[in-house]
Amino acid sequence: MLTLIARRTLLALAMILAASALTFALIAAAPGNVAALIAERTAGPSASAELVQSIADDLGLNDPLPVRYGRWLSDSVAGDFGGSLRTGKPILEEFAERAPVTGLLLVCGGAIALIMSLTIGMLGAISNGGKIDSLLRALSLAGASTPNFFVAALLVMLFSVTLGWLPAFAGSSAASWIMPCLTIALFPCSVLSRVVRVNLQEIMSRPFATTGFAMGYTRLGVLTREALPNIAVPYLTTFGAQFTLMIIGSIVVETVFAMKGIGAFFIEAIRFRDFISMQATLLSFIMFFVFVNLFVDIICLLIDPRIRRQSNA
Amino acid sequence: MNKLKKEPLFKVKDLVIDLYTEQVSVRAVDSVNLEVNAGEILAVVGESGSGKTVMTLGPLGLLPEGVSVDIRGQSQCSGQDLLNKPARELAKLRGENFGIIFQDPISALNPMKKVGPQLASQAVRLRGVSKQQGKEIAIELLQRTGIPDPEDRYNRYPHEMSGGMLQRVMIALALVGNPKILIADEPITALDATVQAQILELLKDIQCRENIAIILITHDISVVAQMADQVAVLYAGRIAEYGTMEDVLTRPVHPYTKGLLSSVPDLRSKRGENASGPAGITGSPPDQSSLLPGCRFVERCPVAQTFCSKFRPPLEVLPHLSQRHFVACPVAVESTIEQMEGEAYEQ
Repeated sequence: MLTLIARRTLLALAMILAASALTFALIAAAPGNVAALIAERTAGPSASAELVQSIADDLGLNDPLPVRYGRWLSDSVAGDFGGSLRTGKPILEEFAERAPVTGLLLVCGGAIALIMSLTIGMLGAISNGGKIDSLLRALSLAGASTPNFFVAALLVMLFSVTLGWLPAFAGSSAASWIMPCLTIALFPCSVLSRVVRVNLQEIMSRPFATTGFAMGYTRLGVLTREALPNIAVPYLTTFGAQFTLMIIGSIVVETVFAMKGIGAFFIEAIRFRDFISMQATLLSFIMFFVFVNLFVDIICLLIDPRIRRQSNA
Repeated sequence: MNKLKKEPLFKVKDLVIDLYTEQVSVRAVDSVNLEVNAGEILAVVGESGSGKTVMTLGPLGLLPEGVSVDIRGQSQCSGQDLLNKPARELAKLRGENFGIIFQDPISALNPMKKVGPQLASQAVRLRGVSKQQGKEIAIELLQRTGIPDPEDRYNRYPHEMSGGMLQRVMIALALVGNPKILIADEPITALDATVQAQILELLKDIQCRENIAIILITHDISVVAQMADQVAVLYAGRIAEYGTMEDVLTRPVHPYTKGLLSSVPDLRSKRGENASGPAGITGSPPDQSSLLPGCRFVERCPVAQTFCSKFRPPLEVLPHLSQRHFVACPVAVESTIEQMEGEAYEQ
């Protein structure tokens, strides 16, 4: 078991390394000269070529790419992401300020997606081809195929403009967080409720479900006792993937609802061609992706007795 | 104690089961009458698709999901009507009166649950005992079904046990509620030959000790010979022949039963000695989605007459001493009676 976890962890680290190298290379290959940009910001449009050159030398931009990557990576691992070109503040400080916003958004959105998807999936399975099942299926399809900026706009129009119930921008009040959390939860919730529904259906046709009926359980009893524990692994795997995708959703949601989170920071960095912040944010996204999935993998290993016992032996 | 008019423990009367999808409907069970008494083993024999499982598990609401079922007729257990019962009550009745054993124990047990606690929670639920007592009952049942070292096996997951052991666990699970009837749907088909005999012995042993009725669904004639008191031979959803094991196996009347018995290779005959091998039956069962008026076996029948394809053969009783030998073939019945009269005349 431990060797299995250790192997997964090593694989995850390798993945982070590869993905970070790729993003570093992509951003380095992107058009635009960082040194010229800095020079332009400090000395105006008429910055001299010498200034640009000296800034490039200072930042080590003239070194070969692998050297720059190595330096950036070792600095990043030490917690030094450099300073933001836009605000001048260290990026780590920016992250520390903004991470709670994004973190809360993801946790709330994830919790909503978790509870709602299990409820909707179970209701669908209980209804089993009935009207409620068809309705929920249609809603899931609609939810999975509506882009979140559109959902956000619709929610704002309805609850802020027309009804005036909720503030259009996220602030410190709990009510102002309702719409952002709902928006970000909609897509994962739609996908996950289908996962629950489809997997429950598949498991209800397995022989051990019939055994459950034979033991004297009603359909509801078989669903909760026999089928639900058996969807844990596919559900958690998809949940992990959807949870990490929510960070992409946070880029849009934080922008629409004017939240000071990491997603919004990323968009601002792109807008200002703040390459250093972009790189740092992407690295943090990659680490988030890989670690969440690693965590889910390990949980799945612990849940499934077939895998757990095998690796013990 | 009422010996004059003993009500059977389980019976089906004029049972018709239609299975249908959007495209086709199949009459899987066509007007079947059967009875099982306490302490009796009824073997339901037939080839795959003959309706054995549908007939037995259908009235209990145990057909797999995704198939639409229409059940008519009567099905009773200790006088209680099984059809037209609300799902909740039927579920309760299933748990309390029936124990069911399936063909493949590996897929019939929940892979996420340890076998012992499954038994224990079922004991708590059906017998209303405490958790500790539930565990004791579970271990005792594991022991009773011949599982060595039951305390250790208690905490095993299904994938950690062999097929034979798991079938014993299934039997233990079926016995938790002290059922009146055990339904064994091809209980040994998926097991190794060496284990098969042990499981049959265990079933027989349980039936003797607990006076439980067993409905044994099988296609294996040797199993029938070894186990059954009564035999019902099913062909394409109808009963072809029904009677005591001795009558049906030693004095088969219906041409299908005869064919079925002749399909069994005789192991005692040396190779080459009986060059013809098992005779068997030519052809394959009819398509049950298109209903013809006559006998279902007519196309494969060696003694078929022209009227056979026009009228459904009634289930007639044969004048044996037992008076419990039914055959759905007027042609065969007539020739058998002639033969018997001939024998009597010679004597």
